[in-house]
Parts: sequence; structure tokens; C-alpha cells
Amino acid sequence: MARRITSILPDLSFEEALEISKIHSVAGKIGNDTLINKRPFRSPHHTISTTGLIGGGSFPKPGEISLSHFGVLFLDELPEFNKKTIEVLRGPLEDREVTISRANATYSYPCNFMLVASMNPCPCGFYGSPDKECTCTERQRSLYRGRISGPILDRIDIQVEVPNVKYEKLEGKAGESSNIIKERVNKAREIQLNRYKGLNIYSNADLTPKMIDIVCKLSEPSKIILKKSFEKLKLSARAYSRILKVARTIADLDGQKDIQSTHIIEAIGYRSLDRKE
Amino acid sequence: MTKEKKCCLIIIIYFKVQAIRQKIKIFKNFIRKESDVKLVSVVKSMTLQGLEGVLVNVEVDVSGGMPAWNVVGLPDTAIKESKERIRTAIKNCNVELLSRKYIVNLSPADIRKEGAGLDLAIAVATLISIEKIKDFNTKDVIFLGELSLDAKIKKINGILPIALEAKKYGIKRIVLPAENAKEASVVDGIEVIGVNTLEEVIKYLNGDIHIEPTRVDINGLFAKNSEDSFDFSEVKGQESIKRALEIAAAGRA
Repeated sequence: MARRITSILPDLSFEEALEISKIHSVAGKIGNDTLINKRPFRSPHHTISTTGLIGGGSFPKPGEISLSHFGVLFLDELPEFNKKTIEVLRGPLEDREVTISRANATYSYPCNFMLVASMNPCPCGFYGSPDKECTCTERQRSLYRGRISGPILDRIDIQVEVPNVKYEKLEGKAGESSNIIKERVNKAREIQLNRYKGLNIYSNADLTPKMIDIVCKLSEPSKIILKKSFEKLKLSARAYSRILKVARTIADLDGQKDIQSTHIIEAIGYRSLDRKE
Repeated sequence: MTKEKKCCLIIIIYFKVQAIRQKIKIFKNFIRKESDVKLVSVVKSMTLQGLEGVLVNVEVDVSGGMPAWNVVGLPDTAIKESKERIRTAIKNCNVELLSRKYIVNLSPADIRKEGAGLDLAIAVATLISIEKIKDFNTKDVIFLGELSLDAKIKKINGILPIALEAKKYGIKRIVLPAENAKEASVVDGIEVIGVNTLEEVIKYLNGDIHIEPTRVDINGLFAKNSEDSFDFSEVKGQESIKRALEIAAAGRA
């Protein structure tokens, strides 16, 4: 599933392709391609080291996060990763650039990637499933979930639970093709580009706190909804701005000028792991 | 021993030392006269600092004296070892490398250089110094590539960022391994010369052969945006996650 995200992301511009190719060229991963014209999709195994992920060496080489620049970094089974390895993602996720300092040299590599991660609800994998009972103890569950720290969860904008697929669905007709979804995505992004023209902002994800106040205006009922859920779920300040950004994006996909209360409800719904804590 | 004898001995020793000094002087002059080349040659190359390129001047000086090959200017192990590769490669393209004192300087000297990419530049600078390559203006040209013992030129990493940076420095031509030629030719406005062996480079620089610059159709390459082999239509059900991914794609750069 995650592998398919690159098929709905907007096409690369020539400059972006050049930048991706540059990083891959330095890492010696360009192979026979002369230019990488596809968004990269990297899915390192969970035994990866910190250096492998963010880059390093005595002459620092780019790591997986830089190799997935303008693409997708998929971390399957997130709790299985070394805790320290995940924590180093904090800075790069915010800054979109990683600076590696060694005795010999200090190099910066760009790492503007989309982080996609998956995990089980508990060690046995059946917690919350309507069909099968979970055999884990409460302690096991909390230990398992505790491997992903709050700050990292905070930085994940959209969290969804994926239920098991019913047999009828498997037999049913195929879903929407990527091209149709991509069209909608492109339309939403066009709206964003027009809105942020000349502001050095290219998407909702780049919004600064100041800009959020301007473009994410809420109606009175929406404000009440957000306030109530904020108190109930004990969300962080970071989660607050992320909810607004996601709500803005949903509104853009909808083609709406203002954020409606349905949009804000859907956005709050994407903090499912916050609710569990 | 009497006082006179002691004095005599000291005087004799003094004269002997003088005589030896004289002999050394004559020998040194002899070697200097024999050395027919006293040329410092400068060839440009480039090394990477992360994604930034730094122009490196490779200077080679050949002089008389104890035969030696020294590399100075913060080289890493790969460059220090290049000595053996370059000497053997030059020998193996039927060029006699005289027993002289060779000093290779990589400037700017305060930046650490890494990798074997400077091999070709050092070899070319050496060949210019011993006048096996003549009348070649190295001003707007950079040389990149790793040498193997049989004088083949092997591909190196990081060619694309180097080519892009070289353009900024006003470099007009890049001589690089043929395997890397396509990658570099993506950069517009720079002449890319792909070479396979050191012999070819010598002939090319001496004007004995002509090598056509490599060109690629950039638009064609970029437009060849092949269809993704994975499509969402293969995924049945799971609408919630599809929707989430769509939102993620729409909101992120």
C-alpha cells in the first residue's frame, strides 16, 4: 500500500529531479540511470543503524532520509526499529535538512521526505480487532506502544487505524486508479500554490504559525469542536497546528475556501494514536 | 698524545670534511644539470564537500634529487595510495616515467580531499610535467576519474553535482570516465568528454584523435517518466487509509 503513494504524488519538476539525482550520485546509487525522474521510495529494514538512516561516515555520506528526498521514506513495523534510530528523525523531520559533523568535515544534505510508517496495535497484532481476541497483557501493550516516543508521534500528522479487509471486499471490484486520485491531489496543490504565491511556501505542510492564523480561520462551531476535543484528548500545541494544517488540506481537496466543521472533525480523527495514550 | 699531534689531527679532519662537502656539491650539481625538466604543471579537478564542489588545482613539480613521489595538500588514504596506481598506469601506456623527484600538491591545501577521483588529474599533470602532453591549455578543463593499473579509467561517484558546480565555476569542458559521461551530460552548457583509457587521454590532449562530446536529450530523458508499476486500483477495500494517503499527498511538498 505504502509503495503506491509515489504514484499519486505530483510529478517532479526538472530541478527536483536534478536534486534527487545529485544525492543519489554522491551515494553512488545512480546506476545506469542518467537522471532519476521518479520520486524515490525507500523502505529500509528495521535493523538499520542511525548512521544508515541519517547519513554519516568519516566523510559523511547521505543516509536513507536524504535518499528519499522529495519522495517517501517508509518505515515498516516502526516499534521494531531501534528507539534511538527513530529519535534521530526528530530534527530532520522539522528542518528538512540534516547537518552531519565529523572530525574531517561538516556536510549538510537536504531531506525533504514524507515519512510513512506502519505498526501493529500490539505484539500479537489483534488488539482492537472485532474478529479475534488479543492475547497480550496490558503491560505488553503499553511497552510496545511506548517504543515510539511522544515527540515522534506528535510529528506524524495523520494516524489511521487499518481494519482487516472483509472477504466480500476482496472479491469486489477494483478501487480508484492512481491517476484519478493524482488528479484530485494536483488540483488541491494548485489551490495551495495560488494561495501562497510569493510567500516562499509551497504547501500546507510548510505553513508557519503566523500563516496558520491567516489561512486556517475557523467558524464558531468548529472552534468549539476543536476546543472540546483538545481538552478531552489533551493534545499538544504541535498537534493543534497539525490538525489545522490537515483540516486546511482536506478543505482544499474538497475545493472549499473555508474550513468547515466536517473538515476539522476528520482532521481530529487522524490523531488516533493520541487518543489511545 | 702531544698537543701538536692533536692540532694536526683536528686540521686533517677539518680538511677531510671540506673535501666531502665539495664532493656533495659537485654531485648535486651533476644531478641538477642532468634533469631536463623543471616544470610545474597545473591541472584542475574537483572534489565534493557534501553536495558542494570545490575546485582543486593539482600541481605537479618534477625536479632532480632523490627519486620520490610525494603527495601534499590534505589527501585521504585513497589519494595517498594513488601514487602506485598512477605510476603503474603511466608505465602501462608505454610512457617512461623517469626517476625524479615528483611533488604533487593539491590546493587549496586546507580542504581534505577524498576518493580516487583525482587520479586522472594527477596523471595528466605529471604527463604535462614530463612533456608527454604538449601545448594543451588546461584553463577551462577539469579532469575526473579513477585509474586502474592497466591505465583504464573507471567511474566515480558524485559526477552530477560536480558537473553542476563546475558550470558555476565557468568550466567549459570535463574529461571524465566514459561510464559517467551520460550522467554529466545532463548539465547544459558544458562539454563532456568520455574517455576509456589514459592512452586515449594523451592522444586526445595532444590532438592526435578527436572525441565527440557526449550529448543526451534532456527533455526526452525527463519525459520518459515511466508509469508506476504500482497502482491504487489493485488495492481493494481499505478506503480509510487510501483517503489518508490522498490527504498526505495533497498537503506535502
